[in-house]
Amino acid sequence: MQVIKQLNVLTARIVRQNLTNADTLITVIAMPVFMLLFFVFVLGGNIAIAGTAGGAGAYLRYALPGFLLLTMAMGSAYTSLRINNDRTSGFLSRLHSLPIHRWVILGSHVLASVIFMVLAEVVVMVVGIAVGYRVHASFGAFLAFFGLSLLFGLAITLLAIPFSLKADNYASAGGFSYVLLMLLFVSSALMPTRGMAKAVQVFADNQPMTPIVNVARGLLDSGVSVGGNTIWIALAWLIGGIVVCGVAAYRVYARMYLGK
Amino acid sequence: MNAIEVHGVKKNFGKLAVLKGIDLTVAQGEIFTLLGENGAGKSTLINILATLSKADGGEVRVLGLDPVRDGNKVRELISLNAQETTFDEEFTGSDNLRLIAQLRGIPNAAATIADVTARLDLGSFLARKVKTYSGGMKRRLDLAMSLLGKPKLIFLDEPTTGVDPKNRLALWQLIREIRDAGTTVFLTTQYLDEADALSDHIAFIKDGVIVKNGTPAEIKRRLTTTYTLQAADGQGARARQALTAGGVAFADKADALSLDEANAARGLEVLTVDGITVAHYNRDEADLESVFLAVNGME
Repeated sequence: MQVIKQLNVLTARIVRQNLTNADTLITVIAMPVFMLLFFVFVLGGNIAIAGTAGGAGAYLRYALPGFLLLTMAMGSAYTSLRINNDRTSGFLSRLHSLPIHRWVILGSHVLASVIFMVLAEVVVMVVGIAVGYRVHASFGAFLAFFGLSLLFGLAITLLAIPFSLKADNYASAGGFSYVLLMLLFVSSALMPTRGMAKAVQVFADNQPMTPIVNVARGLLDSGVSVGGNTIWIALAWLIGGIVVCGVAAYRVYARMYLGK
Repeated sequence: MNAIEVHGVKKNFGKLAVLKGIDLTVAQGEIFTLLGENGAGKSTLINILATLSKADGGEVRVLGLDPVRDGNKVRELISLNAQETTFDEEFTGSDNLRLIAQLRGIPNAAATIADVTARLDLGSFLARKVKTYSGGMKRRLDLAMSLLGKPKLIFLDEPTTGVDPKNRLALWQLIREIRDAGTTVFLTTQYLDEADALSDHIAFIKDGVIVKNGTPAEIKRRLTTTYTLQAADGQGARARQALTAGGVAFADKADALSLDEANAARGLEVLTVDGITVAHYNRDEADLESVFLAVNGME
């Protein structure tokens, strides 16, 4: 079917752009790997995670799921950059003048973004496993973690679209990703929220990243218990984010390219 | 059937009326050039015709189809070559051509690409990354991408901007070849000599309406308001005296006389009555630059 072929062609183009661009690879793959190794082997030995024996290994076991989501969040900046570059260069207009189904044009960016984020996530996970992380999860739980990653990738990709379409240039298109990173840093991703200053802890416990990271951690490690409501809260944030960001993305896109 | 028929087309951006009722017809197989100042509405009109934007009012037919209702059918028949060259600079010329061929679903894409690149003399550059191309090479690649799929109508939005004179002439030849192969060319350009050299028909757009429309010769003729008259050898002084005596205003112009529209016929009559032989009598030919300046109130 021509429409599937067009989706494949355009998605492959963007994934190839990402995989052949040194700046993208450094920021989205090398940087998270460096941060993982730095946090684990430089800081990890000095970070005491309650309920563990401490040390770099215990920190790795705690923090790897957070680093995986951090990696995906860093990838969202490049989602925004690629879409913005296609818009400002006129490539999106060229595509819209071709006999292509409208949804395929933006859909290929969304698909490529999620694929690239998952690829980067896999690389960071492999590095984590190479330095001692062990997945303690059933096959079903691991699949659920994969599904959670896809939902997270989709949500932050859809969040990136309005910024990428509205920004004047690629430098400002990725600015929103700093907010994502800030939310991950001020969450349970890299440290338990328990030791944070009271006001910060209240914020960290009630913002979307903490339940999502906690669920990811619980799915990869059966030794970590996740509160009963946490899964539903995480899913609510993710699905709500997908709906809200998806509607916002469509509205901006439709106004700019579909004459609505 | 005309390639393009536009009647009373309007387009607003917020409170700003960019197109205020465009009427335009472009015949199939011709080079049609739309001229106007920056911001006159040229690109807005192209975007409507190329299905990138919807008109707020009026009627549009592209190759007999409604660009809104039959958008995908129109897009199968047209090609847009925008002002900016648009491709993946990190990829090779071949990669870029293959991408468009795949998206258009062109059967036997390799042969089609080989044919187009041979016509544009791109063969030796195709394996190189586009970021290493000169401006002229990028323009040619961009045009090659637009020609894939043999469009019946191609929009060329300032295709020679930033191109050196040699490549510009080569592109002119190519545009003529595209027309001669049966494709209608809708052109915009900043260069009036280009419009003059290439166009079968020209329209001037100003403040969102078409203010002049016709062949280059017709448009230039319509603007012309002076005539040059030259008396036979040795009769120049007598001719001046006769015109002065007859109350016909004129201006000296080297070895000839220049008369405006109101005095030309009367001047010719006076000279004939006085038995003065008129060796040459011409309506002056304006150039498109004069027309452009007149249209835009700069002259």
